[in-house]
Amino acid sequence: MRSQHTASLAVLAGLTLVGALSGCSTEATPPAPAPETDGGSSAGTGTYADGTYTESADYQSPNGSETVEVTLTLEDNIITAVEVVGDGDNPDSRRYQGEFADGIGDVVVGKNIDEISVSKVAGSSLTSGGFNDAVEAIKADAS
Amino acid sequence: MRFEAIGTQWQIDTPEPLAESLRAAILGRIADFDRTYSRFRDDSLVARIATTPGRHEFPADAPPLFELYRRLYVSTGGRMSPLVGSSLEALGYDRGYSLRSRGAAAAPSWDDAVAWDGAALTTVRPVSVDVGAAGKGYLVDIVGRMLVAAGISTFTIDASGDILNAGPPIRVGLEHPLDQTKAIGVANVTGAICASAANRRAWGDGLHHVIDATTGLPTSAVIATWAIATSALTADALATALFFAEPAELERSFDFTWVRMRSTGRVEFSPLLEGEIFT
Repeated sequence: MRSQHTASLAVLAGLTLVGALSGCSTEATPPAPAPETDGGSSAGTGTYADGTYTESADYQSPNGSETVEVTLTLEDNIITAVEVVGDGDNPDSRRYQGEFADGIGDVVVGKNIDEISVSKVAGSSLTSGGFNDAVEAIKADAS
Repeated sequence: MRFEAIGTQWQIDTPEPLAESLRAAILGRIADFDRTYSRFRDDSLVARIATTPGRHEFPADAPPLFELYRRLYVSTGGRMSPLVGSSLEALGYDRGYSLRSRGAAAAPSWDDAVAWDGAALTTVRPVSVDVGAAGKGYLVDIVGRMLVAAGISTFTIDASGDILNAGPPIRVGLEHPLDQTKAIGVANVTGAICASAANRRAWGDGLHHVIDATTGLPTSAVIATWAIATSALTADALATALFFAEPAELERSFDFTWVRMRSTGRVEFSPLLEGEIFT
């Protein structure tokens, strides 16, 4: 997980953070402006207001022009969520953007199965009599 | 058509009911598969390999299964292995379902314990083979081919966690491993989706059936996986491999999409997933 955060910051080094502040800030006063960074320089050491920051960046890959959009959520200067959406048409670019996007997950919120109209459910396979009986037997032994 | 086979529940949906002869053929083919690959009966080929060294010829369906296992054995650094049977047994998931652990035991290394020559497995000492990580998916594909051969081009085979769908896409709920009344997302599936999770085949104290062959221990960081691919063999095998290897690494060699849930409740998923994850 930590290496993904480092990768996110590396991408941010190429983006300007002055720009759209989307989502809610916990500060009542207007947020402190984020430092501008140029491509290649390290991210500034200023304090960032809590909130969600989204930026897009166009970059040149060997496959041509690509776009990636990074959304960061900051709380107390710590990145608590990252979302990376790649826009590459090229399969290689999609794969690399996938590699970058993997590994930083959102906490899932379950929805009731009967509210989502699906025809099948995929989960671990149901167990059958022999196994079920054995589980009951060891529970009985343990009690 | 609903039935129990290879230790779980199956359901096959088709536009018209299946002819009795086809139903019988399907059940017979599944029984043949069980007689070869089951670790839970004393008359299977796997049972013979577990007691008697030598050259053991497998039926003609074996090569794709062993070849995929070999690729994933390498990709997972040996953590996913068809020789994990002895590790499962050491933790209690043995033929009699004793469910009594004797302590973790790493599986033997592939090249030390067996030689697969494309048709037969040769062993120099007893070895416990367990193909549960991919075998059910493979059998689902085999049954699918029987339906296609009978002229049935729209069907859904659901072998409980391993689903093969032919025809219009279906919406498949991704069952929450910690709450069976809930889903963590929905996938739109043409082809196969296979799920793997640590919740059902579990018998206490962190003991469950997804075992790292290099340590003999059940996994703990990843608690549920889903893989979507064109074949159920591939999807089933990759759903297991996702416990042991990074998705990006597997994406180098296989064409599939995936979802993976960690014990923290966080979910990662392929950017190309056709579906939605509920966050």
